Amino acid sequence: MKLNIEGLLVYFPYDYIYPEQYSYMLELKRTLDAKGHGVLEMPSGTGKTISLLSLIVAYQKAYPLEVTKLIYCSRTVPEIEKVVEELRKLMDFYTKETGEKNNFLALALSSRKNLCIHPEVSSLRFGKEVDGKCHSLTASYIRAERHSNPSQPVCRFYEEFDAVGRQVPIPPGIYNLDDLKEFGRRRGWCPYYLARYAILHANIVVYSYHYLLDPKIADLVSKELAKKSVVVFDEAHNIDNVCIDSMSVNITRRTLDRCQANVDTLQTTIRRIKETDAAKLQEEYRRLVEGLKETSAARETDIYMSNPILPDEVLQEAVPGNIRTAEHFVGFLKRFLEYLKARLRVHHVVQESSPQFLKDIFEKVCIDRKPLRFCAERLRSLLRTLEIADIADFSAITLISNFATLVSTYSKGKRAAPYSDSTTSNNVKSSNYILFQPVFERFQSVVITSGTLSPLDIYPRILDFHPVTMASFTMTLARTCLCPLIVGRGNDQVAMSSKFETREDFAVIRNYGNLLLELSAVVPDGIVAFFTSYVYMENIVASWYEQGILENIQRNKLIFIETQDAAETSVALEKYQEACENGRGAILLSVARGKVSEGIDFVHHFGRAVIMFGVPYVYTQSRILKARLEYLRDQYQIRENDFLTFDAMRHAAQCVGRAIRGKTDYGLMIFADKRYARADKRGKLPRWIQEHITDGSLNLTIDETMQLAKHFLRQMAQPFRREDQLGLSLLTLEQLQSEDMLQKISQIAQQA
Amino acid sequence: MAALSEEVLLVVKKVRQRKQDGTLYLMTERIAWGPEGKDRFTVSHLYADIRCQKISPEGKAKIQLQLVLHTGESTTFHFANESTAMKDRDAAKDLLQQLLPKFKKKANKELEEKNRMLQEDPVLFQLYKDLVVSQVISAEEFWANRLKLSSTDHFSSNNNKQEVGISAAFLADIRPQTDGCNGLRYNLTTDIIESIFRTYPAVKQKYAENVPHNLTEKDFWTRFFQSHYFHRDRINTGLQDLFSECAKQDEKGLKSMVVQGVKNPMVDLLSLEDKTLDEGYGSLTGPSTSNSSKTVKENSNSAIIKRFNHHSAMVLAAGLRKMDTSSDQASETSSTDGNSRDSDTFQPPIKKVKLQEAIEYEDFQNETGPKTIALKLKKFDRYSHGPVPLQSHHYSTSQDIISSVSCIQEEMSCYKPCLTQVMSSSAASSAITALSPGGALMQTGAHQTVSQLVPVDIQSELKHLYTAAGELLRHFWSCFPVNTPFLEEKLISHLEEMIQAAYNKFHAWQMRRMMKKT
Repeated sequence: MKLNIEGLLVYFPYDYIYPEQYSYMLELKRTLDAKGHGVLEMPSGTGKTISLLSLIVAYQKAYPLEVTKLIYCSRTVPEIEKVVEELRKLMDFYTKETGEKNNFLALALSSRKNLCIHPEVSSLRFGKEVDGKCHSLTASYIRAERHSNPSQPVCRFYEEFDAVGRQVPIPPGIYNLDDLKEFGRRRGWCPYYLARYAILHANIVVYSYHYLLDPKIADLVSKELAKKSVVVFDEAHNIDNVCIDSMSVNITRRTLDRCQANVDTLQTTIRRIKETDAAKLQEEYRRLVEGLKETSAARETDIYMSNPILPDEVLQEAVPGNIRTAEHFVGFLKRFLEYLKARLRVHHVVQESSPQFLKDIFEKVCIDRKPLRFCAERLRSLLRTLEIADIADFSAITLISNFATLVSTYSKGKRAAPYSDSTTSNNVKSSNYILFQPVFERFQSVVITSGTLSPLDIYPRILDFHPVTMASFTMTLARTCLCPLIVGRGNDQVAMSSKFETREDFAVIRNYGNLLLELSAVVPDGIVAFFTSYVYMENIVASWYEQGILENIQRNKLIFIETQDAAETSVALEKYQEACENGRGAILLSVARGKVSEGIDFVHHFGRAVIMFGVPYVYTQSRILKARLEYLRDQYQIRENDFLTFDAMRHAAQCVGRAIRGKTDYGLMIFADKRYARADKRGKLPRWIQEHITDGSLNLTIDETMQLAKHFLRQMAQPFRREDQLGLSLLTLEQLQSEDMLQKISQIAQQA
Repeated sequence: MAALSEEVLLVVKKVRQRKQDGTLYLMTERIAWGPEGKDRFTVSHLYADIRCQKISPEGKAKIQLQLVLHTGESTTFHFANESTAMKDRDAAKDLLQQLLPKFKKKANKELEEKNRMLQEDPVLFQLYKDLVVSQVISAEEFWANRLKLSSTDHFSSNNNKQEVGISAAFLADIRPQTDGCNGLRYNLTTDIIESIFRTYPAVKQKYAENVPHNLTEKDFWTRFFQSHYFHRDRINTGLQDLFSECAKQDEKGLKSMVVQGVKNPMVDLLSLEDKTLDEGYGSLTGPSTSNSSKTVKENSNSAIIKRFNHHSAMVLAAGLRKMDTSSDQASETSSTDGNSRDSDTFQPPIKKVKLQEAIEYEDFQNETGPKTIALKLKKFDRYSHGPVPLQSHHYSTSQDIISSVSCIQEEMSCYKPCLTQVMSSSAASSAITALSPGGALMQTGAHQTVSQLVPVDIQSELKHLYTAAGELLRHFWSCFPVNTPFLEEKLISHLEEMIQAAYNKFHAWQMRRMMKKT
């Protein structure tokens, strides 16, 4: 259908539309008009992606000079592929409606592992291996060597791409990962480099967060993207963690030992080269004097490591003299290494900010801030000069030099907190959201969206930006297809809670077990249960086993349990789906914050009930967390408790929201902890869940829960047709245009 | 006479039936009773015919056993041997208890199968009505060669679908009971044993290896329950343990499952993340999990978790195993004869389908009718031509056809009618009339109208008679060559009768027709 969104003609590839989608597009349009940032929360399964794409594509077509590019960042590979498929549907609709040939170029970008078509390389199983092997075939000096030595193996796909691929633009169209591979195979070009090159002139790019947020990668991939782009972060509810993760470095004694070995290798290699080919080192020295500008123009394949800091600051300066020659630099590294070793020997916890750290290092081993900043860049240059192909071996030293650069660069205003732990880990954590800021500054509109962003106002605070629109949308429903219940007590009236004092309590564990047992008899097909942590789950499973609860559950359903091994869990997950599919029914025990809770949807019969055992607070004794909380308190005036509750509730909502993936879907959401009934917890759940929690569903006993659940499931099992929805939660174009419907729609969005 | 070839499992003397003393025999296939002093059975029931057995309540004067048949009849045996009556009865009861379930399934299945066939096939149903209901031939005779036919095709395929799954909690059902003197008693039923075997083929293998050469059955199961294998929180599997090998095999199975990975890309957690952080980056998640720091308890906990996953997977697989093997074979054979590229191009569709599924909004789409199953063609040529003999030197490939079609098209494009040599219009129109239906040259088509002349009900009646007679004839001919006295008897006595009956029937029908006509 064709929509009129405040004067913008939007093609929407379906005959029906949800009211909230219309409302969402309105808000989005206002965001784009204002050239500002937006935070939008809309329940999953209400067609967020297609609304986003429809509107932004329409905007791009209408104002090609205002918005040149859409950068769509999603979290997982399947998500990325889903987005591209939806986009394809939209574009097909455009072609059908307008009759014009599509002149849009949209593509997905992923790591080499997902894009490589080299028969040997792509057969490797792990991303790291694929990357390493690729480097060893495509690095510039390897290719140079081939001129003199034709037997040197190179990647013919890259060679082909390098020879002709850049001159011939990739024809417009929608390229998913498989399409890219197919295209690459047909032309004999490397799809990965093709995609990386093509994103510069593509209209729509779909890739993972990391390509934009992680400075180590962003520098390589996303550096030249235009300012007039719209950036969308989908599923952005834990984007702050992504930022922190990519800026955190763990150093253990083992790392340092390997580092030592690396330094030794470097030393011997330098000595050897000096004897054979001194000119090479001379050449490098000369280059470094001239500054790093030229080195940065080095060929794209030489990704020894990329600079973790924003490039421009460093590239304008020359590498400081004391690390310019290779030997001096190695010496410098050695000293730095010794210093770190010494720090690790400390048997108590030290927490300090970057300036403190820098001061300390200056006093102890006379290392200045400036050379530290160039450490990463200098190592990159050295490794290239020494022609070391296998960078996997040098990961340790790379890590250390990145650490040096990070710690010395982000000292001003933003806090990095190195620790020495009494055990083995030295952790450096730039406990800030600095990464995000450049993104906000760089691009004209950044939209953060997810199914669970509540409370909305905290995101701008922790990410430190000022959005022009902030809105939360509810789900209009013809039937209440979600049923959140807060179970606070067992049948014996003992309060259920995962709080620290009672979590090992026998009665609590038994009541949790009884809850699951009784549910397994009532709920058809799949049940997913989430625990607060892996250790807790292990303990509970063990004691359920001893008490015979699991055996009784097995009478009703098969049991599958998430393990810490991803491959094992995938198998369990597949079996779980199989069991749901063939009607046996199954229970999946899983962990909040785990991989399952973040990336897997349990549509329809795969999840008819989700149980959240306890409140998934993060492990509060962790020093990293403490530092982060302190930072938040100092910088943004966010109270520790607020943040912790916010963090716990967003994960709980995320887990529980896995069950509902659309309006035809239905599911029970069971919060098994009496603390959920408190207003401060409940109030932090997304609005679309909150509004279905009635006073009658707070602090229930297990029996009462079963009553409500049975009633709910019986109601939901009735046939549900389109006619039931039409006009209420599903609209045709005519219905959409009616006056009072527009009135209603304006109430869907709640401005924060 | 038949008893000679049968193995007699149990003989109970002094059993009364209809106030007559006699002996009860339990044989492999049937139960029989003969009055004292005669070597002939007056009562004989196949186990398959027995629906259930009933026994007289404890403490009643008469100790009896009643057999209820599927037909509703029942036979009562009275155990009259005063001293051992109870024991005799129990022995008979226990044996029956073991034997009956085996036959029961078969009987029920047969009945079900017959019912199904009749329901599915209206022609057969009519035949059944004509022949059996009107008592021309007996039901057994009617089914005698039908079921054999069907058992080859329908039966086997149906069997698989009807396979009963395994309860996930079958191990939990084996509740140990204390036997009063500091020991445990496990009650095993055949069902449970079968469940164990089906779920854990490794145990079955062990069983086959060791029972009865090395161990008695009882010992085997005793060891099984003592083994760490049975107890899931096992950690140390001693070498002397019979089942340690099973455990290892399980582990291997689990590993191979993990290595194989998952088919559905949407649940593959390994490839979910687009860019995993390099080692050393990222904040530590929780306490470090090195092996050494793991306590014994944690180890056993994770063992339990693993066992549960494995157990559930095995139970699930046991239900699907049979189907799997057949489909596996199919895919294997097809991959050998299909060209190898098929297997390559086979993989993406699963992903595509899953992706499409994932982005579909049920309520946005207009109904597109029921979902159809895509036709999978391994060899397109085979599909379009059917199987051809190997030395087929002269069949046109699709390429040939296409080229000839294009050839004709080409010729047609440059075809010029030669107007001077055409025949006159009157001659042409007469030729056309002669060739159209009813024309002079199309007379042969006239007899088709017979079917229109006869009313439908008569047609169908005739058809029924025809098939009934055909069936009888089939029975008749199947008696040749006459090499057993039974066949001879059949042929002489009642087949003749049957055919006579059929004649009569036909005659009656014809008479009726004549009557109606006149």
